[in-house]
Amino acid sequence: MFRVEKLIKSFGGLMAVTQVSFTLKKGEISSIIGPNGAGKTTLFNILTGHLKPDSGAVYFKDQEITGLSPHRICRTGIGRSFQKTNIFPRLTAFDNVQVALMAWQKRTRNIFQKADHFYQKETDEILGSLGLGDQKDRLAGLLAHGDQRLLEIGITLGTFPEFILLDEPTAGMSPEESHKTMELIQQIVRSRNLTLLFIEHDMNIVFGISEKVRVMHFGSIIAEGTPEAIRANDQVQKIYLAEEV
Amino acid sequence: MKPSMGNRKKTKSMFGLIAVMVGFLILPGFLSEGWISLVNEMLILALAACGLNLMLGYAGMVSFGPAGFYAVGAYATALILIDTNLPFALAFAAGPLVAAASAVLIGWFCVRLTQVYFALLTLAFAQIIHTIIFEWYAFTRGDNGIVDIPIPQMLKSITHYYYFSFFIIILCLALLWLIIKSPFGKTLQAMRENAQRAESIGINVRLYQLSTFVLSGFFLGVAGSLFCGFNKNVFPNYAHWIKSTEMLVVCLLGGIYNFFGPIVGSIVYLFLDKVITGYTQFWPLVLGLIIILLLLFLRGGIAGFIAERMALRRRRGEQA
Repeated sequence: MFRVEKLIKSFGGLMAVTQVSFTLKKGEISSIIGPNGAGKTTLFNILTGHLKPDSGAVYFKDQEITGLSPHRICRTGIGRSFQKTNIFPRLTAFDNVQVALMAWQKRTRNIFQKADHFYQKETDEILGSLGLGDQKDRLAGLLAHGDQRLLEIGITLGTFPEFILLDEPTAGMSPEESHKTMELIQQIVRSRNLTLLFIEHDMNIVFGISEKVRVMHFGSIIAEGTPEAIRANDQVQKIYLAEEV
Repeated sequence: MKPSMGNRKKTKSMFGLIAVMVGFLILPGFLSEGWISLVNEMLILALAACGLNLMLGYAGMVSFGPAGFYAVGAYATALILIDTNLPFALAFAAGPLVAAASAVLIGWFCVRLTQVYFALLTLAFAQIIHTIIFEWYAFTRGDNGIVDIPIPQMLKSITHYYYFSFFIIILCLALLWLIIKSPFGKTLQAMRENAQRAESIGINVRLYQLSTFVLSGFFLGVAGSLFCGFNKNVFPNYAHWIKSTEMLVVCLLGGIYNFFGPIVGSIVYLFLDKVITGYTQFWPLVLGLIIILLLLFLRGGIAGFIAERMALRRRRGEQA
């Protein structure tokens, strides 16, 4: 359902993404790992339209989406979260998710009706599934860090994506928090029948829930396979696992 | 329990609002015409500032050029009244419409930029409008301004004009209130908080910024038209950056994150202007000091400060 062909992106002389190609099946949960500066976030930014690739193509549901603007890519059913927490700090948690729902349903052009009553149930449902139900009236910027990360996922879910890209969803969380969050994400992805691609630094988390792992190094994907295969891959061990230890 | 408390709060604020409006309506019974003029001026400036604040406080777009649209509204009405025989209602309606149309054109360029670049471009366009008005003698009478603008006999009395503008302003403020409480309004606030994230939930940020620009231009135009009829003279300095700064100060003084902020700001600003210029000719100096104190100690403005206090008291009340 999602296919990337020979993406290339360079900044000045630096090749940030080199000839990256891969395919995702519907419902697949997979991850991208790699050392800092490997080009993971750059790749995500190309996939969601925040950057234009120098060459190559991205297809989603057999439609080419290369180089479309972020809001149009969102409309095709691709949602994303960001590495740095990216929420609407001075709106309540409820409003954060509700505005995503309204944007998705194209209600944001509605100029003379009261917003309060739109998608109350749906918003509560999403917040509830993330365990944020009792925090909904608090300003998003005042939530604990972990909850802000979850809220970010809530905003992403508000656009009813079929395919979500999460950029280090557990960044800055403690190990226990990370595991709980990943379990929650897995549960949500399964129950909503989504396809998930995520970037992660923590190897244990990646191996725990991914069906497939791709390893990026210096802008290209150097290995792709099941967690077991990746764990056993010599090259990966050399460049990535060694660095971690 | 909770909803009933919310309702009680709602009825209470509804009651307060009606009381304030009735207060404004009976003012001419108590005040001299000079004071009614001042209140009228306060209300018009309040509307202009609220129009600006839709952009500034709600959409987070800092504009240094609101006076440009204000002047376009004022001049459109003035020119139609002085050069044609069209009825007053039409001339009056033309002000905001021409202002909104010019906001489409200018906004189209401005929303391509963000932050300080956006702000400077709005300033540049406003100064272009000022220059056009100032130099184009054949059309706008240049720096002579347009004087003795004919308005209907019925509106010539200060009290009558006060009621006329009060009605128009309340109508516009009600529209602005609806807008900020609508899904569109919430979207603006989301854009203000985080434009990149807004884009990633499928919002065409530039289009919404342009819409805001045009709406804001429309309400500034209404204020301009109202002031044209109020003053019966219009001058190029309506478009000057000093006028824009005045509107920005009014918003900041009252509080940009509160709907009523610019209204409070306008009342306090013009009141101080009136009182202080009675004592000293150094009003700009006093104004400078006020701005400094405001930015250092009262970032939420007067209305923001009061709202915060009230929220605090309510919370204490609930705990007790």
